[in-house]
Amino acid sequence: MADGFGWRPPRPCEAYRAEWELCRSAAHFLHHYYVHGERPSCEQWRRDLDSCREWEERRSMEAQRSLCESERGRVQTARKHTLVWTPRQSPPADWHLPLPQEKNK
Amino acid sequence: MAGAPDERGPGPAAGEQQPRVACPAFAERLGQGKPQQGFLSSFFSSNQKCQLMLLKTLQTNPYVKLLLDAMKHSGCAVDRERHFSCEDCNGNVSGGFDASMSQVRAANLSGDCSLVNEIFRLRFGLKQHYQTCVRDRAILSILAVRNISKEVAEKAVDEVFESCFNDHEPFGRIPHNKTYARYAHRDFQNRDRYYSNI
Repeated sequence: MADGFGWRPPRPCEAYRAEWELCRSAAHFLHHYYVHGERPSCEQWRRDLDSCREWEERRSMEAQRSLCESERGRVQTARKHTLVWTPRQSPPADWHLPLPQEKNK
Repeated sequence: MAGAPDERGPGPAAGEQQPRVACPAFAERLGQGKPQQGFLSSFFSSNQKCQLMLLKTLQTNPYVKLLLDAMKHSGCAVDRERHFSCEDCNGNVSGGFDASMSQVRAANLSGDCSLVNEIFRLRFGLKQHYQTCVRDRAILSILAVRNISKEVAEKAVDEVFESCFNDHEPFGRIPHNKTYARYAHRDFQNRDRYYSNI
């Protein structure tokens, strides 16, 4: 977390509002139930939206802490599956060369 | 948003060791699939139509724009003239990849398993049916390009399913429709601000 000078919410407040509204929509409920078999929970987006606004208005340290914690939680959740492939740092040098059987177009 | 997108390649590298396959990669290039249908009194050939659709897609489709941005960010700048090919496709295959991980991701992130698509296939189910669809489509796609038994294909998919199903790179979510894909693209463009402020 970038403390002190220069910190700002990880997303613009409009993004939190958009995510919260998408989360609460009927279509999202259907998608989420279809995928996960349970209803979505949207309260965290609302809390983040409130924290974002609070930080915008009052530069509240508590709001900053709460936002950071929430977003780190999201990153952790997304990363918790084990990797099947080994990540690599760059593509192979020859990725753009023609395939052996490529015919001329 | 999911972890830093620049750590992952978009698919198996061309230079990596691939197991021997009965059907080569990009099998559909060899002329399989249904014969060219006659387009009566059309002003454009199907190849020209395909090229036009490709151009429009590259300019407007948020799924494609995000994927190409992510690939460019990882060092693979994709060129329309060089890296795309209009081919007749056999209906059983989605994507041209040849690994169970790729097929699970393709079925999961492409919109292929939307509720509407499944209903059109007369496969009904609601609660958590999505995962059944992803698994089944992945198995079908593997069977279309590999000369292996259904049991082997099922085992390959089941082994990687938990991890691959939860790998949403570079979208950070399952993009059920263009709205989700647009939000995902917005998040991708915002990633520097995001990671430097958490």
